[in-house]
Amino acid sequence: MDKQFARWIKLLFLLLAATAVLAFLMSIGELVRLVIIAALLAYILEPLASFLESRGLSRVMATAVIFIGIISAIALFVFLLLPTITHEIRSIQAGIQSGKATQLIQNLENFLQTRLAFLGLQNLNLSEKVHQVMVNFGNQIFNYLLNIVSLITNLVIIPFIIFFLIKDGREIKRNLIRLVPNKYFEFSLNLLHKMDMQLGNYLRGQFLDALIVGILSILALWLLDVKYFVLIGAFAGLANLIPYVGPIAGALPAIAVVILESGDMIRIVYIAIAFAIVQLIDNVLVQPLVVAKTVNMHPLVVMFVVIIGGKFFGVLGMLLSVPATGVLKVVIQESIANFRKYRFE
Amino acid sequence: MDSFWGNIFKTKEKKEEGITAVLKKIPIFEELSRRELSSIERILHQRTYRPGEIIFHQGDAGVGMYIIEKGTVEIILEPANQVVAELSDGEFFGELALLDESPRSATARAKTECRMLGFFQSDLFGLIERDPRLGVKIVLRLASIIGDRLKHSNQQMQSLINKIHQLEAEIEKLKETSKKGSRKSRQSSSST
Repeated sequence: MDKQFARWIKLLFLLLAATAVLAFLMSIGELVRLVIIAALLAYILEPLASFLESRGLSRVMATAVIFIGIISAIALFVFLLLPTITHEIRSIQAGIQSGKATQLIQNLENFLQTRLAFLGLQNLNLSEKVHQVMVNFGNQIFNYLLNIVSLITNLVIIPFIIFFLIKDGREIKRNLIRLVPNKYFEFSLNLLHKMDMQLGNYLRGQFLDALIVGILSILALWLLDVKYFVLIGAFAGLANLIPYVGPIAGALPAIAVVILESGDMIRIVYIAIAFAIVQLIDNVLVQPLVVAKTVNMHPLVVMFVVIIGGKFFGVLGMLLSVPATGVLKVVIQESIANFRKYRFE
Repeated sequence: MDSFWGNIFKTKEKKEEGITAVLKKIPIFEELSRRELSSIERILHQRTYRPGEIIFHQGDAGVGMYIIEKGTVEIILEPANQVVAELSDGEFFGELALLDESPRSATARAKTECRMLGFFQSDLFGLIERDPRLGVKIVLRLASIIGDRLKHSNQQMQSLINKIHQLEAEIEKLKETSKKGSRKSRQSSSST
């Protein structure tokens, strides 16, 4: 009886401690977000550090080389892409106010109202709404990019965390494992190893896939002479992280830009064909090679988690919901599989 | 103040020297240089077990080997609960699990307070990726140890086979002598 009471007290204490930790993490949500992004990037970059080590560099030197690469990429982003992107966002905001675009949206609204009257569509005020959404969206991104304090904090803190996670990641992992009681030690070690293999392949595959789709989209949009091709292509690459919804969501901005710019139906068809080709290349060539099949999820599950992610954490939540669910799936799957292989007495 | 820091570093150095000395005695690591041994040291897991505490159970998935830094470990065959070996300071066990994940063939239990160094498959694989030269050295040494054991097992098996043949031959002889004996006794009984 005493033993059971002690166990309950222990459980209660653990629950209280977990709640306190969760509350603390929520109170420093911004920092947690930065740590998660940095940890994800460090995890993706880890094999690169190992590769450099295998070429004779020490861990510190390998980390330094990667770090210099990241800093160069950020510098490139700040000095070359940032002005282009801010200019592109400003242009989109201006473009929405052009007469042609308003006329097109008005036509679309009329079309919807006449054809879908039975659904009760009246006074949609589409142009006003689109205008409002675009202005808000543009302002938000523009303000975010120009919020120097937050930008510098992110650009300094993220590489800083990445540096130490790559350099000392193994030591941190070893020290964490040291805390595990002997009874669960081998189980935890095996579980971590299996999870590491599956998740590593999955996350690196997803990242590489998004990168390839992003580059292909930028190339296709550049060939089709679509304005803001860098921004839209990069968005298409990121959106590709969301299965089913992503590829369509990636093509929509390009189509919207052409509608707002010229309303040329032929170009819209070309863009749709270009994105279909990018998707074909992705599905036939890229995905079978780079994306691990171990984290296959049912389409319904994907839909649900994307909606839930979007509801709670916005666009970032939508982007990270599928990889996060993949992580959770592997954790549960491997825990169950490993639990059967060990005796806990 | 100096002595304070001096003491800290001295202790660490002493401790590391101790681990290096233990590693140097293990056949898998005996040919490694000091630099290579310190690379191994960085991936080892140090664990402490109380007397009677189970290190792993027979049938559990194997994840790697253990080196006894200090203490005594019993290797037990289940379900008979028969102690088949007792290992102590500087000895090691479970090295086969570095190569495959097959279930542990026996249970390992700490007989006394034990300080152990764990060298695990995942860390060996990581090491092979980062430092293939060192990884190959270890795997080759492991292969040679397992090869030696295989030779030893083959010799044992051969001597057992020889013994079986000898026994079979003796049984045959006995059978023949008993047959002859029975024939003689039948002849003598028929003559009478």
